[in-house]
Amino acid sequence: MDERIVMVDSGTGLRLTEEQLDERSAVATVQLRRRGVRAGDTVLICLPVGPDLLVSTNAVIAAGGVVWPLPVDLDAATLRDRIQESDARVMISNVRRALEAAEESRVRIIMSVADLSAAHSYPTSR
Amino acid sequence: MPTSPRHNLPAEPNRFVGRERDLDDLHGLFGETRVVTLCGVGGIGKTRLALRVAAGLVPAYPDGVWLVELARFGRPELVEQEIARVLGVREEASRPLLDTVTARLRDQRCLLVLDNCEHLVDRCAEVVAALVAACPSLRVLATSREPLRIASELIWRVPPLDLPDTGPPHAAEAEAAPYQPPGLAPDPASYPPPGLRPDLPPDLAADLGSDLPSYAPSRTASPGVAMSDVESVQLFMDRAAAAGTRLGPESLGDVVRLCRALDGLPLALELAAARTSLLSPGQIADRIDDRFSLLTTGGRTAPVRQRTLLAAVEWSYDLLSAKEQVLLRRLSVFAGDFDLDLAEQVCAERPIAGGEIVDLLGALVDKSLVLCDESRRRYWLLETIKRYAVERLDQAGEREVLRERHLNVLCELQERHFTTEMVEPATPWARRLEALTASRDLVDDQRVALDWAVESGNVGLGLRLCRTSTGLLPIRGNLTEIVGWVERLLSLDMTGVSADEIAHAKAYLAYGLEARDELSRSLEAAEQSLAGMDRDNVFPRCVMHSLMVIVLLRMGRSDEALHHAEEGLALATASGDTWNQAAGLLGLSAVALTRGRLREAQRHGEEALARAREHGHRWLMARAAAQLGAVAEARGDLVTAQAQYEMAVPWLRELGSDLDLARCLARIGRVAAMLHEFGAARRRLADSLALGRATGQRQGVARCLVGLSVLAEYEGDLEGAVLAAAAAAGLRESIGQHSATIRIEELLGRARTKLGEGRTTALWSRGRAMSPDDAARHVLQGERLSHKTPVTAEPVRHSLLTAREREIAGLLTRGLSNRGIAEELVISPATVARHIANIMEKLGYTSRAQIAVWAAEHAEHPKART
Repeated sequence: MDERIVMVDSGTGLRLTEEQLDERSAVATVQLRRRGVRAGDTVLICLPVGPDLLVSTNAVIAAGGVVWPLPVDLDAATLRDRIQESDARVMISNVRRALEAAEESRVRIIMSVADLSAAHSYPTSR
Repeated sequence: MPTSPRHNLPAEPNRFVGRERDLDDLHGLFGETRVVTLCGVGGIGKTRLALRVAAGLVPAYPDGVWLVELARFGRPELVEQEIARVLGVREEASRPLLDTVTARLRDQRCLLVLDNCEHLVDRCAEVVAALVAACPSLRVLATSREPLRIASELIWRVPPLDLPDTGPPHAAEAEAAPYQPPGLAPDPASYPPPGLRPDLPPDLAADLGSDLPSYAPSRTASPGVAMSDVESVQLFMDRAAAAGTRLGPESLGDVVRLCRALDGLPLALELAAARTSLLSPGQIADRIDDRFSLLTTGGRTAPVRQRTLLAAVEWSYDLLSAKEQVLLRRLSVFAGDFDLDLAEQVCAERPIAGGEIVDLLGALVDKSLVLCDESRRRYWLLETIKRYAVERLDQAGEREVLRERHLNVLCELQERHFTTEMVEPATPWARRLEALTASRDLVDDQRVALDWAVESGNVGLGLRLCRTSTGLLPIRGNLTEIVGWVERLLSLDMTGVSADEIAHAKAYLAYGLEARDELSRSLEAAEQSLAGMDRDNVFPRCVMHSLMVIVLLRMGRSDEALHHAEEGLALATASGDTWNQAAGLLGLSAVALTRGRLREAQRHGEEALARAREHGHRWLMARAAAQLGAVAEARGDLVTAQAQYEMAVPWLRELGSDLDLARCLARIGRVAAMLHEFGAARRRLADSLALGRATGQRQGVARCLVGLSVLAEYEGDLEGAVLAAAAAAGLRESIGQHSATIRIEELLGRARTKLGEGRTTALWSRGRAMSPDDAARHVLQGERLSHKTPVTAEPVRHSLLTAREREIAGLLTRGLSNRGIAEELVISPATVARHIANIMEKLGYTSRAQIAVWAAEHAEHPKART
């Protein structure tokens, strides 16, 4: 079994193995597609550097989307401008300032990091 | 089963513009998501989008798409009540309404659309969470300014319509200039008349518009789209054309400027477009701009969109004539939609005369501030406009006066309708029915008026309004509502309310309590009512006597019942009141039937039917016919019984009295079975069962099962008879009701003789464990126990995958990483990731591990497939 470490979270010291990265990215890709992300769509990502950012980025690319990263330390006005410019329909973020800046934007769906994992998916019967 | 429409969505009032991708995405979301809430400020188009999404989903929901409009309700408990009303579910005695609704929706594949949840958001959240948890195939689409904030919710923020491109804020100033140079304006043909040209995908539209110079700002996803193809411009042009204004290409620049000023907010655009007959787009844009400079100096705290919308509404309001303004704000007192007559009665007060209202209303419709149906019979205000109008009414200091007037008018109208429907002698049925329908149409306004009576402490008028309509009564399947209103009002300060008025209201309390099976409380209220009511209040006194007969008979006190029946009849005869004569005679017949005096019961019943016919009310006639049917049955004259019951069916259908109809159909089915008319019995019982299910009445379903048990036995299927009887007993027990044990004992006795003790016991316990639906189906479809249909296996899904995907799935079983797989197949890791996402989507899995398990399970015979 491949046990390669691809990232160590500087805050928590938690390691992300390659296997975990693949698994989480695949799940996140499905979650993005379920919310309507299509090839060519811009997806905003505003997350601190760490495993979640890596997973999100991978997932957006796997879904055929274009990643539009937003550094978490941007000021509110710049965030708002960037969000406006992106014309993105979906944003991935847990950052309060980014969520507020998206208030009057054209972002339709805001996904939290939790929304990217399958555990958060809903029980359904089809 | 009759095929009824599988939705209650209104026809679209005008063309829906734009939002194609959004519609597509939203349709797709409902595959996996249980609850989607469309959020956004008022006027951004949530309702319209929701209705459009819902209309597109109708084919996907076999059990229907049901719109529940909540804007007109002020009380949280009305959320489930309105859902129930829309679904046709009726309240059951001693069971919370939400439980009945939940049970009804449990196995249904349907979509509920809850429109305008914001003012009742807490209750909406509770109700939706409860429904979604219990009903696995249910989906909910809500619109609300605020999210519901429940676990299964996906919040979807509705954006304004797309705007003409402005380029990034820091881009060249020249691009931000509002006016298009004349040479840049697209040719007029590029604005398609509605419906003539299908909406083109942006890329294609760009190609077609390629005669445009390409230095138009080109940052957004759809570079080069002609200005006139942009959603907001399209909407404005469409609505202006509907208002009779033909805008040439020369005005496009101004329209673009206006769309930007209005931030692409649909409601603001519609209000502006409605004014294009008098003002050019340029003039409107100038005025709106001025207004913004005023507005922004005011409160800066409100979000921009909300301020923009307010400015647009305010601008439109300020342009109205003084009288139009007065009317618009006064129209805000109505609960929901209203007709001209009601508007005239409530709103005609200085400075408006009644005769002017029709023209003023027309003017408001032209300005898109009031909406109406095609025939101009019903009018209503959009929620956003209504809120604004409420504020203006408040500011004008007219709120109390108008609401008081609304209350008074409702009292008068409902009293008049009630008198026509019930009391007035020698009135043709057509007129009574008309009054009944008119009264039902006013129920929402009646609730609003009652709210005001409670709020303003006007107990007298409130109580009066409680006793003026059958709309709030159990006849309409509304068991708790009248009780709630009367109790609420009686708990207020009663100074100045006469004892007679209180006693009169208690009559309705008693009525509601009986329907809830609270017999002793009902009896008590009825006694108090009779003791306190003036002697000359003859009609309600008679009604109370009739109610006492019913309650006392249910309590097994037939002597006292007889006394009340006689007294009521005497009173009604003296006053010439045919309704209560019939009701009194029915009471006498019921008492006689209880005592086994069949000839007397027959005579009273016949006379009751004659009186009822004289009165003409179908409900009363149906009751008399049913009574005669019961008497005939007791005599053993099944042919007559069937004929009497059949007589009531068209009357009950005409009234839409589902519950009475279900009861009547079940009786016919049972009697027909005993007459060996098995086909008719099966049809009637199936219809009754469908009604019982649709209205959520377990008691009705149990009644049908008893009828089916009789049917099965007469057909010689003793096993089916035992099963159905056992299922009925089980269901009744779960409601807390007693079954008719004598019939069951007799049936079981016969079954033991024929089938043996062990078989009978086994069948009984099997029937008890069966779902009511299964038991019913067993008899209705004439299934025999020996043929057990095998469970259909789930179809295998592997053929969905492409060869490459199967290959990758196989590699996953070896625990390879994406990189590992990529190396193995000599493709990029990103491609591997995409394949895996595809596999998950196709198989409905949510993890790579699941694919690996699946692939391992399907790897044993890989060569069997191609």
